[in-house]
Amino acid sequence: MEGRPLDDTALVERARNGDVNAYEALVQQYQELAFRVAYQVTGDAADAEDAAQEAFVNAYYALGRFRVGSPFRPWLLRIVANEARNRRASAHRRIALAERALAAQSSGEAAPSPERAAEADEFRTTLITTLRGLRVDDRLVLAYRLFFDLSEAEMAVALNCPRGTVKSRLSRALARLRVALPDDIRLPSSAGNVDG
Amino acid sequence: MADPRRLSDRELERALTLVGPQYPYPPTPNLAGLVRTRILARPLPSRPWRSSWTDPRRLALAAVLLLVLIGAAGLAIPGTRDAIAHFFRVQGVIVNRVPSQPSVTPATSIDLGRPTTLAEAQSSVKFTIAVPSRLGSPDAVYLTSGIPGGEVALVYKARPGIPLVGQTGIGVLITEFRGDLIPEFITKEVGPGTTLTETRVNGDAGWWIAGEPHLIIVRIAGSDQPETLRLAANTLVWEHQGVTYRIESALSQAEAIRIASSLP
Repeated sequence: MEGRPLDDTALVERARNGDVNAYEALVQQYQELAFRVAYQVTGDAADAEDAAQEAFVNAYYALGRFRVGSPFRPWLLRIVANEARNRRASAHRRIALAERALAAQSSGEAAPSPERAAEADEFRTTLITTLRGLRVDDRLVLAYRLFFDLSEAEMAVALNCPRGTVKSRLSRALARLRVALPDDIRLPSSAGNVDG
Repeated sequence: MADPRRLSDRELERALTLVGPQYPYPPTPNLAGLVRTRILARPLPSRPWRSSWTDPRRLALAAVLLLVLIGAAGLAIPGTRDAIAHFFRVQGVIVNRVPSQPSVTPATSIDLGRPTTLAEAQSSVKFTIAVPSRLGSPDAVYLTSGIPGGEVALVYKARPGIPLVGQTGIGVLITEFRGDLIPEFITKEVGPGTTLTETRVNGDAGWWIAGEPHLIIVRIAGSDQPETLRLAANTLVWEHQGVTYRIESALSQAEAIRIASSLP
């Protein structure tokens, strides 16, 4: 983590000067994150792949207006999320299918196991399914903070919003998630330990 | 837990943090090779501003501008543009403050692209076209597909409450394009008789350009098409989630913002 900003800065500077290898190194470093962020938006693997690929290409040609020394990761994610949003309409109809696949996958993973493991698995499935039903803005703000561990400053760049509004966005997203969850959802018996 | 039926913020955050690593993502594809192939096929454009004067296209643009400036009713214009770049927080739009407003021959018609339908335009552009509910369905729709992401123009004829705009010959012109993909798509030359006011549109930063008509140059990078020059009327410009919107009309700032606020 500590070396990342410096490494990114050096790679970005080289890429700005046309060093394709440097940019490829950045793609390799961030392709998983970019793909996962895109998947959070589209809910469809093919659309997420298209969006992430297009975002990396567009980001390359936009390097000229990237502010040297500022963090690359949230700037890239902003482009990724925009690309993903623009594919979401076509992906929308497939989300239901993806959700069904998710449910099947989760139940398939549920080991014939003690009650507590089954309970945790059910909680996880409910939480993820509900999350996927939230609006994109809410899903992104929750994923950036709690899945991908972005700082508030990074989130402000990635979400293209003032830093002072990040906390309130997060709070509102949590509130909407809570409302969307089934009334009778409970944490697994070991409080906070949702992975069984 | 005091109430097992209600999860606190902290519990929800904790639950999500723990669920995150178990989120069922599809396998990450290897994008690096594909991206490399694509960027090798098209060299990096020269950097905006820093190396802009070595770019032949920009030099050509400067030459055209200079001709316009020199022809501006015999006004004494310095050989170099005394331009102040106003870096908007609106992608796709660059504004230069110029010492005096150039005059251009009013266009008899403006090139907005190819006439089409909303449905067809939507299938061609890489963003969701937004139609303001305050104005309803446009009288005409035009599509420019030769630019990254595409551009759509929604045209509303003059009608009671919507005055005719001399510069465009119509009432309200709304253009939408992916400013995040074409950062130098539109350049505006703003003279001393034109005011620039920072504003907010649905929470997004925007600008209101009003007063004397300003020169607008639409430039398609990497294209053989010449830049389009014309004078523009009062314009509200802002960006939302990568899409840049312009509303050009003879309406007041308040009314333009009301129209903008009625976009979905």
